[in-house]
Amino acid sequence: MILSLGLISFAFAQGKVITGKVTSASGPIPGVSVFVKGSPANGTQSDATGAFKLTVADDAKTLVFSFIGYKAKEVPITGPTLNVNLDEENNTLSDVVVVGYGTQNRRDVTGAVASVKSKDLENLPVTSFEQALQGKAAGVQITAQNGKLGQGITVRVRGAASVTAGSEPLYIVDGIPITSGDFSSTTAPTSALADLNTNDIESIEVLKDASASAIYGARASNGVVLITTKQGKAGKTLIQFNALGGISSPSNHRKFLNAEQYVKILRRAGQGAANQDFLNGDYATLQEALDDYSASVEARLNRYSAGNNDYQTYKVNSNWEAASFQDNPVTQQYDLNLTGGNEKTRFYMGGQALDQQGIVVGNSYKRYSGRLNLTNEVTDFLEVGINLNFSNSINNRLSNDNAFSTPLQSVALSPITPFIDPRSGLISGTLPGAASNYPVYYNPFISLDNAFYKATVYRTIGKAFANINIAKGLKFSTDFSIDNLNQNEESYYGSLTFRNTGTSNGDGQNISTFVINTNTNNFFSYNTTAGKNAFDFILGTSYQKSTTKYSTLEGQDFPSDSYIKLGSAATKVTATSNESAFSFLSYFFRANYKYNERYLVGFSVRADGSSRFGANNRYGYFPAGSLAWIASEEDFLKQSETISLLKLRASYGLTGNAEIGDYSARGLYSGTGAYGGLPGQSPSRIANPDLTWEKTKQLDIGFDFGIFKNRITGVFDFYQKNTTDLLLDVPIPQTTGFSTKTQNLGSLKNTGFELSINTENFVGAFKWSTAITGAINNNKITNLGGQVLNSNEINAAISGQPIGVFYLPEYAGVNSANGDALYYLNTTDGSGNIDRSTTTDINKAQRIFAGNPNPKYTFGINNNFFYKNFDLGIFFQGVKGNKIFNSAGQYMSANASNGYDNQTVDQMAYWDKPGDITVIPEPRLFAGNGVGNSTRYISDGSYLRLKTLTLGYTFPNAVLTKIKLSKLRLYATAQNLATITGYKGWDPEVNADYQSTNINQGVDFYSAPQPRVISFGINIGL
Amino acid sequence: MKKTYINSILFAFVLMTILSSCKKALEINPVDTIEQKNALLTSKDVEGALVGAYADLGNRNFFGGRPFLMADFLANTNAIEWFGTYEELTQAINKSLLKTNTFVDNVWASGYTAINDANNVIAAIDKVDAAKKNRVEGEAKFIRGAAYFELVRLFGKAYNDGTPNVNPGVPIVLTPTSTVSESSYVTRASVTAVYNQAITDLIDAEAKLPATNGFFATKSAAAAMLARIYLQMGNYSAAGAAANRVITSGNYHLTNSFLDAFPKMPESGKPAKPGENTTEDIFAMQVTTLTGFNGFNEFYGSSTFGGRGDAVISKDWIDETYSADDDRINAFYDDDDLFTAKYGNQYGNVPVIRLAEMYLIRAESNVRLVPAAPIGGVTPLQDLATVRSRAGLTTTSATLTDILNERKLEFAFEGFSLHDAKRTQTNIGSLPWNSTKLIFPIPQREIDANKNLVQNPDY
Repeated sequence: MILSLGLISFAFAQGKVITGKVTSASGPIPGVSVFVKGSPANGTQSDATGAFKLTVADDAKTLVFSFIGYKAKEVPITGPTLNVNLDEENNTLSDVVVVGYGTQNRRDVTGAVASVKSKDLENLPVTSFEQALQGKAAGVQITAQNGKLGQGITVRVRGAASVTAGSEPLYIVDGIPITSGDFSSTTAPTSALADLNTNDIESIEVLKDASASAIYGARASNGVVLITTKQGKAGKTLIQFNALGGISSPSNHRKFLNAEQYVKILRRAGQGAANQDFLNGDYATLQEALDDYSASVEARLNRYSAGNNDYQTYKVNSNWEAASFQDNPVTQQYDLNLTGGNEKTRFYMGGQALDQQGIVVGNSYKRYSGRLNLTNEVTDFLEVGINLNFSNSINNRLSNDNAFSTPLQSVALSPITPFIDPRSGLISGTLPGAASNYPVYYNPFISLDNAFYKATVYRTIGKAFANINIAKGLKFSTDFSIDNLNQNEESYYGSLTFRNTGTSNGDGQNISTFVINTNTNNFFSYNTTAGKNAFDFILGTSYQKSTTKYSTLEGQDFPSDSYIKLGSAATKVTATSNESAFSFLSYFFRANYKYNERYLVGFSVRADGSSRFGANNRYGYFPAGSLAWIASEEDFLKQSETISLLKLRASYGLTGNAEIGDYSARGLYSGTGAYGGLPGQSPSRIANPDLTWEKTKQLDIGFDFGIFKNRITGVFDFYQKNTTDLLLDVPIPQTTGFSTKTQNLGSLKNTGFELSINTENFVGAFKWSTAITGAINNNKITNLGGQVLNSNEINAAISGQPIGVFYLPEYAGVNSANGDALYYLNTTDGSGNIDRSTTTDINKAQRIFAGNPNPKYTFGINNNFFYKNFDLGIFFQGVKGNKIFNSAGQYMSANASNGYDNQTVDQMAYWDKPGDITVIPEPRLFAGNGVGNSTRYISDGSYLRLKTLTLGYTFPNAVLTKIKLSKLRLYATAQNLATITGYKGWDPEVNADYQSTNINQGVDFYSAPQPRVISFGINIGL
Repeated sequence: MKKTYINSILFAFVLMTILSSCKKALEINPVDTIEQKNALLTSKDVEGALVGAYADLGNRNFFGGRPFLMADFLANTNAIEWFGTYEELTQAINKSLLKTNTFVDNVWASGYTAINDANNVIAAIDKVDAAKKNRVEGEAKFIRGAAYFELVRLFGKAYNDGTPNVNPGVPIVLTPTSTVSESSYVTRASVTAVYNQAITDLIDAEAKLPATNGFFATKSAAAAMLARIYLQMGNYSAAGAAANRVITSGNYHLTNSFLDAFPKMPESGKPAKPGENTTEDIFAMQVTTLTGFNGFNEFYGSSTFGGRGDAVISKDWIDETYSADDDRINAFYDDDDLFTAKYGNQYGNVPVIRLAEMYLIRAESNVRLVPAAPIGGVTPLQDLATVRSRAGLTTTSATLTDILNERKLEFAFEGFSLHDAKRTQTNIGSLPWNSTKLIFPIPQREIDANKNLVQNPDY
């Protein structure tokens, strides 16, 4: 074999000269790789005018032309001159799409697959690729929880398909199920997906319906996201360098009271409370009560004014909200990619350095990553390769949204409190000096210099694979991969943070997480055609095992803040280690049949076994079938000038969900019951030996169309997903000694429509294309066995309502006679009438369904314009039909009735005297007038966001030739430039990090807004 | 030839993959936890489960402190100035608990967790070595009895309020839960039934427990808890007799100074250290740096001393309550505000029953039982003087009022005020002693999970 290759290369001794020119619709293309088919070493490149000249062997038959962004073309050598026209690559329906364990022509796909290509993902200042995907795939709802870097992003494919089991899709990178999900030691999630470099991604396919996803069986109910990374291409090595630098700012500010307003409302709150105490009979006279309260309020104001009376003149007027954001935080991103190879060996090398400063003080994220994708054709029947990805990220994290030490909680501090305590010259609240009860709360700015929380991740994902062509059409593919995630979270809280940590001499933590996830896929694929019949089959097996180990160490009492490692801690307060593991063993089969290029039938089945379920119910079987008809191939449409493509599709199938704890089926004892220095054990989980898969049956009916020679193309789908046997953490009577049990109970339904349309509005010198995605999803829980899941007392899962529905007493405004907050009773009497009278007792008010935290409509509109060398991209994204609950309303919008927290400006419209008509009750210090969770704190969450605006300029070839570059583009891009919303908080894209679950959605709690990033970049091709 | 060779390797490989995987591939057993069926096989296992039951009893939401603290908050009129942000405790201070109050729910859940632990131990008692069997069973019953008493006095009407044999108390569960079944959906037993269950457990515990048992429950701990229960029921002869048994055991002594009865506060700026029980602790929950939690310190402690500094003690109240020569006036410290020094150590044990309480129970019982001869042969005046002299005070009279007042001085912020107000039918501010606002609601979550439970009135 090797010998024969040698002989071929020898044969180049003499030859003939071929010349020609390579062009495209928009002119000559320089830098095109031109070589002899079968002999890539014998090649050259087109020059600036697109011309080339190549000496080839006499017997050379075919030349190959390839260039990035264009479809490669093979041209037979017919004479000494070859002029070649290359077609630009674009997303037409003939594209290849990645499906489970293989690829298919888009034409032949019978399922619902959304595909997003690299050009729509690259060169954006994002941390994780999901952010770039937002609004670009119909039916894929992506929501960031807050504007902290590297933190949780919620992804829902066609709605939430589970109530308490995982609802995130399965992520497959180059065929392997990678470790995804949250490994944060705090309740605020981070994402293991952030270890991937978005610019390494060639395409993302989202498998939405059962026929596309059922090949991933037990884990496909929430959709499957297939990520394909960039591969090498034969030809001259292309070197690309990209740099991007930008400045971030908060997308919005929230307004709080100034010093004068603050003093006014608190004095008024003292009077309000005095009046109530007098009315309750706690004081003999009103004046006595007023005097008492006045003394107390003035003493407090004096305290919060750094122990002086400056508050009386409003001399100090601190804006803590503004101070929580950094000045001009910088984002930098540098990419260097090399793509190349020859016919035998192809490679892609990508490297990136990313350095992002967050908008919130103290928050930053750095990531260094590299990728090598290499394939080699060993023989004519054997191809081998490796994909190797490594990354190192360093995230300087912030405390959870509900921690006093998170910077945005400083908005609760008084505007009369100076940043620097004039008595000590130090940050207010720092020792020595008033620190234990000044300011109102722990001042999070003390943490800036006296505490850190750093999460460092080392991630390596490696895959070795081989494809063996056994016979014509029959291939065996095997791969083995290891995905290793090492995370270390280290934090130290210095002695000055004692008010936050409760320890006087420092508190340090060191938490290590180690995840090793191994996987192997082995499968045969076979395709054949016989006349008008085309078949393809796959049959294979896969095995995955993932082990997670944690260890947590915490120590207190350090000699000084110079020591931050736990060896220096006099007291060790935590020392634990944990381990858990799961495995999946699966067998899968798929058959596709096509007749006469127009009738398509698909069938797949997967058998999945998982260690997570009881021995009796370990295996689940997940079949799916689909039909499609390419009507445009039929005679009656084939000649149509208007309709270039019409494909009707239908599919039905079963998928599963196994995203529960690794040992949820078992009755367990835990050895963590130590007491007084003696070891102990106690029951930790109640058994459910019958636990089995959550099942989703999905029907999908859709069509693909192309009209006017595919100038307008589109995809429409209707789906109905019925999930049964929900894996539910069902609240059980706590009189059992347990609070929940994981069981298969209940059902829910998602139905919806998806539409995506791509249009080429103008072609020619001025080009304008539009891509629209839109989706409607209706989620409804159909049965929860009569349970109400309502852990945060805000969102609920309840039969007949969408998951997470806000379930709250209904606020009825203010009694204009006395300033009491009122609630509607909403109780139902025997004959079904609802009592709309009001009560001051929130306990007596029946809770109502007050809105859905999940949007009903999600959409994105992307317009791209090209004129001469300019390109302009305008991308809008939005949601509609959802509500947001401000859970911090009870503190920040509490008409000063819940302590000394600073208030939002709208609270100044408080009830002051009988007859006042307002929705803000009378301020009554500490009396909680109207502060209970109710519809008072609900608002509409719809928004329309100018997500990305990009303007670029690509230098013309004439210039490039002079400076010897193949590509040079300068661009400016703005993320989150403008948001139209009725929400009065920081940002309508929100869900407080510490409490986020499938059910607890749409809750705002001092959550940071999304950053607005204005950046400039350069793309250089060598 | 070549192809055939490759094919056979391939098929062998695939076959191997499939065969090697099969069953074992899916057998992954937990390593941090063990299966219930393997947990209680030996005497050591059951003894370990007993230790685990103490750990759960000492949870911050139970005997770690919160229900005691919340009871004092409900009874507070002018002693505690609340500056905290926990809405759950603000509701308690304002005597307007919501049925969704998560602290209330946590008390309920933690109480029954401890009860289930105890039930597991009791059900597996035959596994325990004969020599230890009585002690282990006695301790488990002490835990269960104490837990039922705590739950019933918080979630049910007071024993002396109307008809306790009809008033709903809390559900009684006496067997361990291994699976959820129909029988798990329990109903509320009457207040009387729950008191009787607590008494039965504690009588059994007193009989089976040794006189000394380290910091674990002892014969006296069971007797002391009985004394407290009987006092709450107004059964003064039984209360006095039980208190007398504890006092005469001779195993406990009042500390020399009042503050010595409580965990030692660290020097300001120095780390807090865990400590041993004091000589007057009859039962205290153990706290170390690694286990246990002092739920009083969390809110009563100033931030310099490990707490949140949320519950400040009123200067006016201190001055009105304590005479200048009362040593207990010194049990407060100034850290910009005034705080009680009882809980100035975050790793301090949580006192549950101190000997001083036994003296005052015996004194009160004897006063109420006059003209009967005093139980233990010690007059109320002598008992009262014992407690007061430690505070540096002389004692000249021992009326019921004197004794009840002494309880306020001695046990301030230790969780007595609400229950004393109820049994003595003393109004709290403008609220009558039996106001429904002074009873915990059954947690809404529990009502949602168990339709057989009825809510308390006015929730």
